[in-house]
Amino acid sequence: MTPAALSDGAIIRRLLGIAWHYRWGCLKVLLLQLVLLGLGVAVVVLTGLGIDALRSAVQPGAPAPRWPLGWQPPGGWSPMGVISLLALGVFLLSLLRAGVDYTYRLSVDRLVQARLVVHLRGDIYEKLQRLAFRFFDANASSTIINRVTGDVQGVRMFLDQVLLQTVMLVFSVGIYLAYMFSLHVPLTLACLASTPLMAYLAIRFSRQVQPAYQENRRRVDAMVQCLSENVKGVEVVKAFAREGDERARFEALNNDVFDQKEGIFRSIARFTPTISFLSQLNLVVLLLYGGWLVIEGRFPLGAGLVAFAALLQQFATQISNLSTITNSLQESLSSARRVFEVLDTPVAVQNRPGALALARARGEVRFEEVWFDHGVDPVLRDISFTVRPGQRIAIFGPTGSGKSLLMSLIPRFYDPTAGRVLLDGHDLRELDLDALRRNVGMVFQESFLFSASVAANIAFGHPEATREQVERAARAAAAHDFISALPDGYDTLLGEGGVGLSGGQRQRLAIARAILLEPSLLLLDDPTAALDAGTEHEIAEALESAMRGRTTFLVAHRVSLLRRADLILVLDEGRIVQTGTHEALCRQPGPYAEAMQTSHWAPSAEVAR
Amino acid sequence: MSQKPRTAEAEPGQLPPLEFLRLFRRVFSYTARYPGVRARLFVVVVLRAAQLSIVTWALAAVINGPITHGDWPGTLLGALGFLAFILFTQVTFGFRIYYALRLGEGAIRDLRRDTFAHLQQMTAGFFQQMKAGRLINRMTSDVEAIRAGVQDVLFICIVNGGQMVFTGIILAFTDWVLFLVALAIAPVLWWVNLKYRTLASDGQRRTSESFSRVTASLAESIDGIRVTQGFVRQEVNAAQFQGLVSDHSRNVIYNSRINATFLPLLEFSAQVFIALLLVVGSWRVLHGGASVGTIIQFLFMASVFFDPFRVLGTQYSLLVTSLVGAERVFRLLDRAPDWTDAPEATGIDKIRGHVEFRDVTFGYTPRQRVLNGVSFTAEPGQMVALVGHTGSGKSSIINLLTKAYLPDCGEVFIDGREIRSIRSDALRAQLGLVQQQNFLFSGTIMDNIRFARPEASDLEVIKATKALNFLDLIEALPNGFQTLVGEGGSGLSVGQRQVVCFTRALMARPRILILDEATSAIDTVTERRLQQALELLLAGRTSFVVAHRLSTIQRADQILVLAKGQIVERGTHAELLVRRGVYAGLHERFLTNTAAERDPA
Repeated sequence: MTPAALSDGAIIRRLLGIAWHYRWGCLKVLLLQLVLLGLGVAVVVLTGLGIDALRSAVQPGAPAPRWPLGWQPPGGWSPMGVISLLALGVFLLSLLRAGVDYTYRLSVDRLVQARLVVHLRGDIYEKLQRLAFRFFDANASSTIINRVTGDVQGVRMFLDQVLLQTVMLVFSVGIYLAYMFSLHVPLTLACLASTPLMAYLAIRFSRQVQPAYQENRRRVDAMVQCLSENVKGVEVVKAFAREGDERARFEALNNDVFDQKEGIFRSIARFTPTISFLSQLNLVVLLLYGGWLVIEGRFPLGAGLVAFAALLQQFATQISNLSTITNSLQESLSSARRVFEVLDTPVAVQNRPGALALARARGEVRFEEVWFDHGVDPVLRDISFTVRPGQRIAIFGPTGSGKSLLMSLIPRFYDPTAGRVLLDGHDLRELDLDALRRNVGMVFQESFLFSASVAANIAFGHPEATREQVERAARAAAAHDFISALPDGYDTLLGEGGVGLSGGQRQRLAIARAILLEPSLLLLDDPTAALDAGTEHEIAEALESAMRGRTTFLVAHRVSLLRRADLILVLDEGRIVQTGTHEALCRQPGPYAEAMQTSHWAPSAEVAR
Repeated sequence: MSQKPRTAEAEPGQLPPLEFLRLFRRVFSYTARYPGVRARLFVVVVLRAAQLSIVTWALAAVINGPITHGDWPGTLLGALGFLAFILFTQVTFGFRIYYALRLGEGAIRDLRRDTFAHLQQMTAGFFQQMKAGRLINRMTSDVEAIRAGVQDVLFICIVNGGQMVFTGIILAFTDWVLFLVALAIAPVLWWVNLKYRTLASDGQRRTSESFSRVTASLAESIDGIRVTQGFVRQEVNAAQFQGLVSDHSRNVIYNSRINATFLPLLEFSAQVFIALLLVVGSWRVLHGGASVGTIIQFLFMASVFFDPFRVLGTQYSLLVTSLVGAERVFRLLDRAPDWTDAPEATGIDKIRGHVEFRDVTFGYTPRQRVLNGVSFTAEPGQMVALVGHTGSGKSSIINLLTKAYLPDCGEVFIDGREIRSIRSDALRAQLGLVQQQNFLFSGTIMDNIRFARPEASDLEVIKATKALNFLDLIEALPNGFQTLVGEGGSGLSVGQRQVVCFTRALMARPRILILDEATSAIDTVTERRLQQALELLLAGRTSFVVAHRLSTIQRADQILVLAKGQIVERGTHAELLVRRGVYAGLHERFLTNTAAERDPA
């Protein structure tokens, strides 16, 4: 996605940076977790005391309970009273623990789901909105969707499944270690001999599975892409009766995911038990070395070996979390890489510092030796021309000659590779981007309507527009009548769960959308193409009024529109090959006159057939 | 006309309670396709449940036995035995992990496959109603949620449930009075389960639904990015998206509040029972004459008995998540297509091209009629032009002809056979459809042309391109036939896309050709090329053409003039002109425009 690939270290540093941003939340979660641990231990201790108290009451030889914190029940209390009190203590502490547990669980989700994930998604979305079209040309929509949905959760995983877990792991392991060392130093060392090996294996496992996880993401993307295309292109699939083949294609991609996962499964199924085995191996060392020490009489049995064994088992349980953490880390790194790739993609088209915000442009447009390429052959070559305010420029040429591209340079959807485009004498790159685009009204070849009401779609560029403004624009675009005939008029929902519109209707909404903005520049990319003869006639007036007083660029093939242009630029293979008015060009031998003569407009001899 | 649009999805609040058992059984049935893996997983899980307790026991045995007795060779032997046993345990563990992951992945692979296959059976109306992003969400997060259910929940529950039952039996034998006290937790559990299930299902449903909205909105904004940037709507969109994301996060927190209440509550009730057992047990020792050893043993075992609570609680919440995902996926799977081919429908031999509409009435919604009593006949090889204003029903006729929809009343005949008796795929395989906006798939130009007939060789593709005289246009692309296009054909101009689509249509060797505004959005130069190609495409084939180019219409053998869903005029160009009706009016207006254009003087 971006040229510079991030190293693992860089990703981890950045993830830690994110964690640092949420440090107080993290700290709170950790503290709560410690309190929970403490309360858990306290409940066990109290229960144990209860048993000891019972035993000392019944069995004369039994040791007296070891009361903590120097507290001792008053001598006059019956054993039943003492035990009931302890049970009450257990009850109260458990209640407290439940409360703390509630706070703890909620805090974790508040931290990661309500803050981290929301912020990240917002950041990526915001970034996506600003990225240049090249980014969307180069990346399939499903990949982008996966990054905002799945991969963000991966980044979250780093915080609550990796970082917080690691801190707790280190903490509890530290306590167990301190305890063990206090019992017997050489034995502790011997029992921990395998730890470096575990660390080594964990690192090796990481290196091994991370590329696999990334490959998995790619394959999932490919599968989702196939699904998405089949949903969006369902008409084509059905029209060619290709359901069977598409099913096979999807199944192949689906199986690709499955087959590749197999490798990851094998790695996990090898790694996790190995770590587990190594930590249990410590118990064998304990039995041998510790057993020998006991037999030699150098280490007590109960307070020594038995206690040590219990500690070591706890230690082993904690260490086996290591494999889960390692696995989560790998998943979160692959995800984070993909998230950061989006966040790091440079915004190719952006404001320069101190960019000039043009409130209302006069509409003088000038191309100076403009070249453009997508990295291969130039799409535009050496384009130069000047347009005075209010002029109407038609762009004419065969498919692929660069007409749409030339137009998309004006709102700066792309920047020229060489040369410059000027508006009112300012290089576009020195103008504030949003202000520039607000001056430009656009009707695209294919009108994209959002799932919203008709009115909201017309007011798309100016959400605060009143209903009167919306209606005026709709009338001007000859759309008012058909809108009024819709089930809910201007409030009719389009898209999902809403009504469908014909191509002509959609295009008229798009024209209304552009007119509403009262732009000083109007770009029309073949606006009448989708309209039938009758409607075209109706809309001709509307277009005429829309274009009046505005510098207009239009890609057109209808003579009716070409005739009314002040200047026609004839493009061929990215070059301007002819310029002039319709009349002048018709008289001039060249591609334009040729195209006019052979076109099928006129009633010819065939008519009277 | 006032019909409210159908909502594609029911709101979570309107749904009946989650049918746990039915959903669970259905999810579980997906593991039945892997009987080997599943059986082995069961064995390994049971084995492992036993091993876990034996490890602790074995360790204690070595310490209490040889080490306590100072028996060094015995210690050595015991340690080695222990080593062998943990090796065995961990190998089992490895298989346990592997089988569970395999089973889960296999089940969701099959679910995805079934869902995809099901989607393909859905009719055009369904896709009109459903945002693409929602369907994608169904196949990703919802299916993903099911995975955990298959991989872990059941098997972890077996181990822990087994532990509870086993300990429960020991408890009953140790002291049945105390055991009855412990059993009193059952109604508490029942109540918690009931409460929790209702709340958590509801919460999880909301969460899944709001996430589906996030995905759908995201998908749409990516598709509409050009419009968004062109109209400087970035901030407004970002705010709307942020609204959806926050809404989703509120649902997540709501859900997490439910879990944060119930899971600690579960642990708490276990602790309460331990405290209760302590008091009752002590009373029995002090006043009832029970032995202290029994009570101590009972209390220790009781903690083992209650221990799986925490695990089971967590698994329970995973199960709810998983089943809600399953519910959403199954609801999609169970949504029957609006119609399917009748079981007695059969294929059709090479179509001659006789098409008849007999008194056809049709509407996309029951209350909005688009076609009203339409009848016409097209003879083999004829070209039929459909003329009329936007919304007059031209596209609907085509939708019925391609069997994308079925007529509400009346019949459509192809070669004398009613269209309902012909299998959709067999029919469509002989139809060639080129629309104004055609979808292209990501891949090369070659792949896209070949889409119509996958078995065609490169040479055949090139031949078809040559036949339509498009070779130079395609070779002019950066990598010729190997040029990559993006989803929906991004990277190509509309004209270039149509060139590919025409070739694609020819590749299909259609018997009936349908051009729905196919040359509308194209520049004159390319259009001229397409017109020439048309001659070739149309030759010897019945064709239906929706166009607004007079030149195309004039050539038609039959022109049907539509208005408000009815055929108001029909005949050839010449006949209709003589009649001085609607068509003549259209033509006149067109001529006025054109004459002015042709004659700039």
